Amino acid sequence: MKKKKNLLIALSGIVLILIGFYLIKAIADPQMIMKTLPYLCIGLGCGLFGDGLGEYISKKAIESDPKLAKQIEIDTKDERNIMIGNMAKAKGFDMMLYVYSALLLTFALMGISYTVIIPMVIAYLFVVGYSIYHRTKIEKSF
Amino acid sequence: MKNRLEEIRKEKGIKQEELATALEVSRQTIGSLENDRYNPSILLAFRIAKYFNMTIEDIFIYEEEEQ
Repeated sequence: MKKKKNLLIALSGIVLILIGFYLIKAIADPQMIMKTLPYLCIGLGCGLFGDGLGEYISKKAIESDPKLAKQIEIDTKDERNIMIGNMAKAKGFDMMLYVYSALLLTFALMGISYTVIIPMVIAYLFVVGYSIYHRTKIEKSF
Repeated sequence: MKNRLEEIRKEKGIKQEELATALEVSRQTIGSLENDRYNPSILLAFRIAKYFNMTIEDIFIYEEEEQ
């Protein structure tokens, strides 16, 4: 069932790619959203195709090798691997905060339009707020 | 935290891979435990002790100065 779902995702990716290429060829003088929509379709299609096919192949490989499936399950559930993954994610998040705020400051100094800066600030604050929310939620659960 | 895992494992003639499979952890975790680079969760410590039919204190050595 899940394998079928992955194949469907891959197939919808191919359809999106084809639609994207068709739109590029069919519309000679694109206006407004049609300037970017075909490329968006191709990008999204490639992502869906890669993800769907990758998952399908990996599930097929796991199915034919139960030993490999068990090893993958052990590696995924291994407490040290989980800890390493969480530590790496935390480091990445810390770095993202620095990089993102530096980027915001640069954009502000460059005099970029408020329509760009304000959504970026909102996104930044949302991510920080989300992190604080989960910290209090996790603290309550222990 | 220091431990006697390597010593006990070798005494029993068990390979790292075999111990890892029995405890359902990666071989790297066993390696890190034996090199004192990683302190296990209390659950894993209990699983290790149960596997060797010992107590946690027989395998893991608590040192006050670590705190």
